Amino acid sequence: MTAPAIVRRDLVRYLRNPVRTAMLFSLPLVMAAIFALVFGGGGVDEISIKILLFDEDDSLLSRLIEGAGGSSQADQRLEIVPVGEEGYEMMEDGEASALIHLPKDFTTDYLEGNPVTIEVVKNPAERFLPKVVEEGVGIGGVVLSVGSRIFRPELEQIAEFNRDGAFPKDLAVAGLSTGVNRKMRGLERILFPPLVELESVTLTDDAAVEASDTANILSFFLPGLSIMGILFLAQSATRDILRDREAGLLRHLLTAPVSPTDYLVGKCLSVLLVTALGFAMLVLVGVAAGVDWGAPTAVAALVLASAIAASGLLLLIMSLVGSERQGDALTTIVIIVSSLLGGAFIPLQQMPSFLRTISSTTIVYWATTGFTELIVHDGGLADIVPNLLVLVVAGAAFMLLGALLLKRKMARGVV
Amino acid sequence: MIRIERLSKSFDALVAVDDVSFDVAEGEIFGLLGPNGAGKTTTINMICGVLKPDGGRVLIGGKDIWLTPKVVKRSLGVVPQEISVYEDLTARDNLNFWGSLYGLTGSDLTSRVDEALTRVGLSDRAKDKVKEFSGGMKRRLNLCMGLLHRPKVLLLDEPTVGIDPQARFNILEVVREVAASGTTVLYTTHYMEEAQELCDRIAIIDHGKILTVGTLEELTKLAGEAEVLKLTGCFEDQIARERLAAIEGIRVLKADDRVAVLSIDADGPGLLAVLPQVLSADLEVEDVSIQQPNLQSVFITLTGKELRD
Repeated sequence: MTAPAIVRRDLVRYLRNPVRTAMLFSLPLVMAAIFALVFGGGGVDEISIKILLFDEDDSLLSRLIEGAGGSSQADQRLEIVPVGEEGYEMMEDGEASALIHLPKDFTTDYLEGNPVTIEVVKNPAERFLPKVVEEGVGIGGVVLSVGSRIFRPELEQIAEFNRDGAFPKDLAVAGLSTGVNRKMRGLERILFPPLVELESVTLTDDAAVEASDTANILSFFLPGLSIMGILFLAQSATRDILRDREAGLLRHLLTAPVSPTDYLVGKCLSVLLVTALGFAMLVLVGVAAGVDWGAPTAVAALVLASAIAASGLLLLIMSLVGSERQGDALTTIVIIVSSLLGGAFIPLQQMPSFLRTISSTTIVYWATTGFTELIVHDGGLADIVPNLLVLVVAGAAFMLLGALLLKRKMARGVV
Repeated sequence: MIRIERLSKSFDALVAVDDVSFDVAEGEIFGLLGPNGAGKTTTINMICGVLKPDGGRVLIGGKDIWLTPKVVKRSLGVVPQEISVYEDLTARDNLNFWGSLYGLTGSDLTSRVDEALTRVGLSDRAKDKVKEFSGGMKRRLNLCMGLLHRPKVLLLDEPTVGIDPQARFNILEVVREVAASGTTVLYTTHYMEEAQELCDRIAIIDHGKILTVGTLEELTKLAGEAEVLKLTGCFEDQIARERLAAIEGIRVLKADDRVAVLSIDADGPGLLAVLPQVLSADLEVEDVSIQQPNLQSVFITLTGKELRD
């Protein structure tokens, strides 16, 4: 009779404080949304490089360089803006990542084999993007230098056409083409097949690739953050034990026909119910946002197991401390650290191996890896049995130990 | 109805309750009077089963509370010294929860809650959160929670601390009504006026020991005195105190720099004979007050100090 009364009282308290309850339940959602926006790019501007091109040469070669920025891949990331001398002032105002200056007679000098200089002015306020431009122009310079050496006679011929100003004769063009063609065929033996080939591989299996088509970025963050969220929920729910104790409510409660065991069973059930409800809500919100959590039975089992583990852990910590203040400090540290280690913020694969070993001692790890199995690898109930076992056994053990410690305190009159 | 046998409790070196025994009859209002720190709350906590005694036993209706706690606790109503209500719940929510702990449900619970709220004058605030209540209203709600299940024994631990006279009057009235309906009441207080007004019998407790038990009349007789004379003035030097002690027919209960308290012997020459001696004894007396025998004078007689010290 007592345990349901305690559970009902706690639920009524959540209902009577809707703002506090809403804030508590929405914390993981807000965090997941921020993570999704930061890492998923949804609603956030793509990173692009703005380059000012001060082209004093205005010739075929400079226009070719200018046109390189308009290729299908580059035009998503590059914005090349033709400017005059005012480009330097624009750079001082920080309006672009870099300015590329092609000096007058750049093409003529290049074709005639004279040394040429491309000036790159970098924006000091930006750290990486100007460096990207500098490296890019450097690579372009190497290509132009190599081309100048290999095709020197042909380039001199083009320079001659350029000097004449008149349209080149057919025979001269044919001779130039033949020369270039012959050299290219000669180079073909050197260049192809390439000794080193670049192959880009994503480290997931086919199922994962398929799954990633449907799961949005929330899928990667919501499980971990939800677990952290329910740890905070459990913190709030178990904190009441210390509040009851400090305010004399627990002592008063024990004057009624309520044994310490009755009270603790009621509190454990109440914490468990709130935590499981909170998690279930997060799962539903995730579904509404497009997260495919996986097989419903497996998800329900994992939600319940995670709630047991979270409730047990927090109850144990609260049973060890002497005051609400101590409890708040200690539980917050445990929640943040175990969430960080357990992979709520950082993918486990990116952690050094020793950290992954430590990570496996946290309940966050077992819950997040369980959800990863369901979401990313399309696993079922059978695939997460180890996770379920660890979470339930650890949670039950924590809960039992915490309840025993609290009961002992109550028996000693420390209430 | 309540039998306390040789109850004792220590916290490390501090002996909080030392060999305390008393009986309370059915329907009686029994007062436990003593200054702060005398051991009243520790005694109550052991009687209501939240603090295990080091020795002795507590029998309620003939049953040991530590052997059959749930059975005994059903017959107990406890109003603790702290206001122990959930401030983020309404008055009705608090009472609903408390009633459900005693197995009250449905319409029975609703009618008991309504009855209890009416009794303490909180019916119109039933749906308000307790955090919006005044201190006196919270105290009344605290009392309500102890009465809800109509207990046979009501234990009240300083239920009027820190409230206004109106709220105090209301609480004392409710306690009288409850006792009149046959409930046994154990009432702890450090306000002697409350004990005098309310209690059928009183136990005076200090330093964890029961000094005496009896009705108000028995206690005042026990002290064996007629009146108490309180002098305000300057008594800081030894000569002044010796002059006081030399006066015939009095006993000096207390003498500090500013106040001297004298007990006038019942079989001596009497107040009218003593007073001129006091005033002519070459003492610096600024004010004289005469107290009829009461619990204060009894307490002073027994301990040599005033109840509020």
